[in-house]
Amino acid sequence: MNVFVIGAAATKFGELWGSSPEDLAREAFENAVKDSGLGKKNIEALFVSNVFFGILGGQVHLGALFAEEFGLTDIPAFHIEGACASGGLAVHAAVNSVLSGRYKTVAVLGVEKMTDYKPEIVPGALMGSGSDEERASGATLPGLYAILARAYMRRYKVMEKELASVSVKNHFHASLNPNAQFHNILTIASVMKSPLVADPLRLLECAPVSDGAAALVITSARPGGVEIIASEVATDSLGLAQRESLTELKAAQIAAHKAYKGSGFGPEDVDVAEVHDCFSIAEIIALEDLGFFAKGEGARAILKGQVTLGSSKHLIVNASGGLKGGGHPVGATGVKQIVEITDQLKGRAEAHQAKGAKIGLAQNVGGSGATAVIHILKKQ
Amino acid sequence: MTNPVKIWRGQKGMANLIGQKGKIISWTFIRVPPAGFESQAPYPVALVKLEDGKTIIAQMADYIEKDLRPGRKVVAIIRRTIQPESDGVISYGIKVRPA
Repeated sequence: MNVFVIGAAATKFGELWGSSPEDLAREAFENAVKDSGLGKKNIEALFVSNVFFGILGGQVHLGALFAEEFGLTDIPAFHIEGACASGGLAVHAAVNSVLSGRYKTVAVLGVEKMTDYKPEIVPGALMGSGSDEERASGATLPGLYAILARAYMRRYKVMEKELASVSVKNHFHASLNPNAQFHNILTIASVMKSPLVADPLRLLECAPVSDGAAALVITSARPGGVEIIASEVATDSLGLAQRESLTELKAAQIAAHKAYKGSGFGPEDVDVAEVHDCFSIAEIIALEDLGFFAKGEGARAILKGQVTLGSSKHLIVNASGGLKGGGHPVGATGVKQIVEITDQLKGRAEAHQAKGAKIGLAQNVGGSGATAVIHILKKQ
Repeated sequence: MTNPVKIWRGQKGMANLIGQKGKIISWTFIRVPPAGFESQAPYPVALVKLEDGKTIIAQMADYIEKDLRPGRKVVAIIRRTIQPESDGVISYGIKVRPA
C-alpha cells in the first residue's frame, strides 16, 4: 500500500498575539483540506500534536477539542506527544493508521501557542522533555545542547564561527519564506556578538519561542501529490548522562538507517532536507547523523555554503529557514517540516524553492535526542 | 508544587552518590535559568564520569573559572537545589565541587 500527502498547509509562524490555538489550528486545517481537493467528510481520523497546552494552558483532551473545532465530532481523534518530536510522531502514527488499512484518509494537526506564557516559564516547561536529574541540576535545553556543542567542538576542532554559520544560512532562507518568523539577515559577526545563553551557545544560535500551526491530509485512496516512502522513529535515553556519545544522536542515526533501508534511497539521493536545528549544533550533528557528511565535516560544509539555496551541490538544508529562522512552535514543527517538503517536491515553494527537488527528508528530534523521527518523501 | 514523598523516594539514590569522585566530560554555563533557579544564575552544569563508571549531570558549586575544563576532578556533594515554593519544602540534590 502507498501513502500520499494530498493536502498540506501551515500558518505563518511568529509572535501571533491576536490568534488563539484554535484560530491557528482552524486556519492550517482548512487550508490543508482545501489543498487536498477532498471534503472534510472524507477524513476518518485526526492526529493532534501539541506539547504545552496541557502543562501550561491547563487544557488536555486535545483530540476532542480540535475535532469539535473542525466540525469532525464523529471521528476518532488522538493527541500525540513526544516533546519537540511530537509533530513527527503524529505524522508517523497517521501513516501507520493508513498503512494498517483501518483508515483511508486521515488528517494531522500540529499546533503550539507559546507566547501566552511568561518567558521564564517556557525554559522550565521545555525541560519537561529531559530527565529528573537534569531538571534538578538547573540545566536548560540550550544548556544540554551546549554540553553537546562543547564536546563536539573539542573533538572535531570546530570554531564558533562554524556554529554561527548555521543561523546565518537559516535566516537567509527564512528571508525568502513569507511564513517564516524572521526575515532579517544575520552575519557571522552579529551571531557571535549576541549574548551567551548557555556557553558556548548564543542567543542567535537558539530557535525562538513561537506560535503556529501546520496540517496535513494523508491518504491511500488517491495516488498523487507526494508519496511518503519512509516513516521511522527511534528512541534513546531521556537524559544526556546515559548516552553512548556526545557528538551524535544515536536515535537519529537508527531512524535514518531504517528509513534509507526501507525506501531504497540513500543520503546521496536527498535533494531537500528539513532538519531539527533547535540549536546551531543540532543541525551540524544532524547532517552527519543523516549521512550527508562525514563526522566532523558538517560544520565546515555549512560555512562553505554547500547546503545553502543557490549552491551548486544538489542537497539544500532547511530551505524554509528551519527552526531558527522559520520559528519553532514545538508541537507544530514536525508537521510543518512535512508541509515544507511537500511544497518543495510540488515545486510551489516560490522564492525559497530548491530547484528540481525530487526526494525530500525531514528529521524531527525530541528533547536532547531521546526521540528522533525521520520521514522520506518522493515526488510523484 | 514540591512533592515531599517524591523527595523521600529519591533519598537512597542520592545517598549513594555523595562523596563519589569523578571527572568532568563536558560542561556549560547557564545564563538564562529555568524558573526556580534565578537566584543561583549564572551557574555551571557539568556532565561528570564517576569512578564507578556511571555518568551524572549536576550543577557545579564552589568553583573558580579554571575549574571549568574537561578532565577536572570533582566530588559529589549534597546541596539545596531549586528555590523553595510557597509550600516551604526545601529541595536538596546532588551537585559537584572541585575535588
